Amino acid sequence: MSMASQWNSPATQKVVTRTKRTRLRPGEATVLWVSRVIIWCVIAIVLIPMWFVFTASFDPSNSYISVSFFPAHATFANYRALFAGGQFVIWLRNSLIVGLVLGIAQVFITAISSFAFSKLRFYGRKYGLMTLLLLQMFPNFLSLSAFYTVLAKLNMIDYLGSYILVLLGASAFNVWLLKGFMDSIPKELDEAALIDGANTWHRFIRIQLPLSAPMLVVIFLLTLVGSFGEYIFSGVILQSPQNYTLGVGMYDMISGQFAKNWGEFAAAALLSAVPLAIIFAFAQKYLASGLVAGSVKG
Amino acid sequence: MGVAQVGVGENSKTMQPRRKRRRKIDWIAYGYLSPALVTICVLSILPIFYTIYISFTNFDQMHFTSYQFVGLKNYLELLNPKDPLSDLFIPTLIWTVIYALCTTGLSYMVGLVIAVLLNNKNMREATVYRTLLIVPWAVPTLITMLAWQGLLNDQYGQINGLLHGVLGLPRIPWLTNPIWAKVGIVTANVWAGFPYMMVVCLGALQSIPTDQYEAAAIDGASWTQLFRFVTMPSVWRISLPLLIPSFAFNFNNFNGSYLLTGGGPPNSNNPFLGTTDILASAAYKMTISFNRYDLGSAIAVLLFILVAFISWLQMRYTGAFKEVDA
Repeated sequence: MSMASQWNSPATQKVVTRTKRTRLRPGEATVLWVSRVIIWCVIAIVLIPMWFVFTASFDPSNSYISVSFFPAHATFANYRALFAGGQFVIWLRNSLIVGLVLGIAQVFITAISSFAFSKLRFYGRKYGLMTLLLLQMFPNFLSLSAFYTVLAKLNMIDYLGSYILVLLGASAFNVWLLKGFMDSIPKELDEAALIDGANTWHRFIRIQLPLSAPMLVVIFLLTLVGSFGEYIFSGVILQSPQNYTLGVGMYDMISGQFAKNWGEFAAAALLSAVPLAIIFAFAQKYLASGLVAGSVKG
Repeated sequence: MGVAQVGVGENSKTMQPRRKRRRKIDWIAYGYLSPALVTICVLSILPIFYTIYISFTNFDQMHFTSYQFVGLKNYLELLNPKDPLSDLFIPTLIWTVIYALCTTGLSYMVGLVIAVLLNNKNMREATVYRTLLIVPWAVPTLITMLAWQGLLNDQYGQINGLLHGVLGLPRIPWLTNPIWAKVGIVTANVWAGFPYMMVVCLGALQSIPTDQYEAAAIDGASWTQLFRFVTMPSVWRISLPLLIPSFAFNFNNFNGSYLLTGGGPPNSNNPFLGTTDILASAAYKMTISFNRYDLGSAIAVLLFILVAFISWLQMRYTGAFKEVDA
């Protein structure tokens, strides 16, 4: 649409001003400003609790009753206490071990099975993935008593390794996500490789894997972030403080002596939430487009 | 590939029925699938069967090494309204349904309204708002809910500090009064859950081709008509299938309730569970706190059945919805 068309005929002018940002009609200006005010209110509701946690982490006095939007004398005392205790570092290390192992395993399992679903022919290809997706609508923590009793009988409670093992399962959702991505890789590349005599493994490792690297990074990051948010199994399996992950440790902090620990908890929450949120925000863009694309396809 | 193509060509010329046979099966595919299949079998399917089995036994701390098959006893205890243990299941089920409905429904409504407001072409700074509004979604629920537990503390929490100290409202007994604890849980969950719905709805809104709007505008459609007949059908079509898993997720959203209240405040006529325990945390508590693996499994199995039934119902409903649409 060129600028010239705007001056040509009065009939099209109405349509053009709707899409171009030349000048707002009075009704549109009202709508715009009402929307803005509503959104500002929602943003305030969203940000105020986070700001409270933020200020609490810098407030050494733990004075809750007087609510101030800025702490009177901000210090890093809570952060120092957190690291001086030493346990926070151990919890962070444990969480990182769990997250990295799970992330790498998840990427491997997802990549290899998405490749099969997207590029190979086999019995069960059509309904296999749907079945797995339906199956995983039942989260595995519902089988908690089964896991717990088996682990207890095998004497595997309170090991980081058994915790990782329990969470190692393939995620049908990730497979679905990556399969959709691999479906969009042009067939011609695959066919060219076939003509050149590539076998299945080469097609996977040389063509599909490098091309789906962005999605693999997203799956890795989402698994990493997700593992930080797992509580049920970690709360059950990890019982001594040196085996805690961040989640269990922080749960203990806040449900133990609340008044004493709120400042330290807030510091721990900020230190762990900020990097995770940044990673997640980065990965989420790809995820959101994948979700919607998948739902349109049905 | 060249050879294969010739083969297919020959077939289609000579014999139609043989065509199906030409589809080569890559048996190696099962090798590629094996890591996924093995882990899903060992870590999802087997535990489900074992859970079902335990639910028919008297497996608890007393009978840890030798437990017997007791048939439907656990289920009868949980479901028979005259049995004292039914207090464990039925009120919990009712609250679970309310919790899942309120959380999903309110998150969806808030998310949709904000998405529609943000999708205004004249709002140039919409990206900034969108980024700010996504933040609660980006923080792991575990941290969010534990932080809300602190913020909602009756005595020291900053939410009461704001409402009482700044706005002069009476102190609200969040987390100690059954009703307010439920309000608190739903509020915190909507706070954490609406950005997801907003992102989904925004995606849906932006996928509507602009020519649809232009065509409607030429036909003289008003702003409300555009919204009703162009925007909403598309948004419904895309976001409704995502509501099913979202509802099923909230039905089992252990983190969203347990980490906030620990199931409390206590329930006077139920020694096991608090007033805000959902079925998932009931199964958790029966297993971990009371070592009643039999009851924990029975609750889990009932939960399996419920989630399956709800998903089936909703799929039927949305399926029918699609057919009417098309």
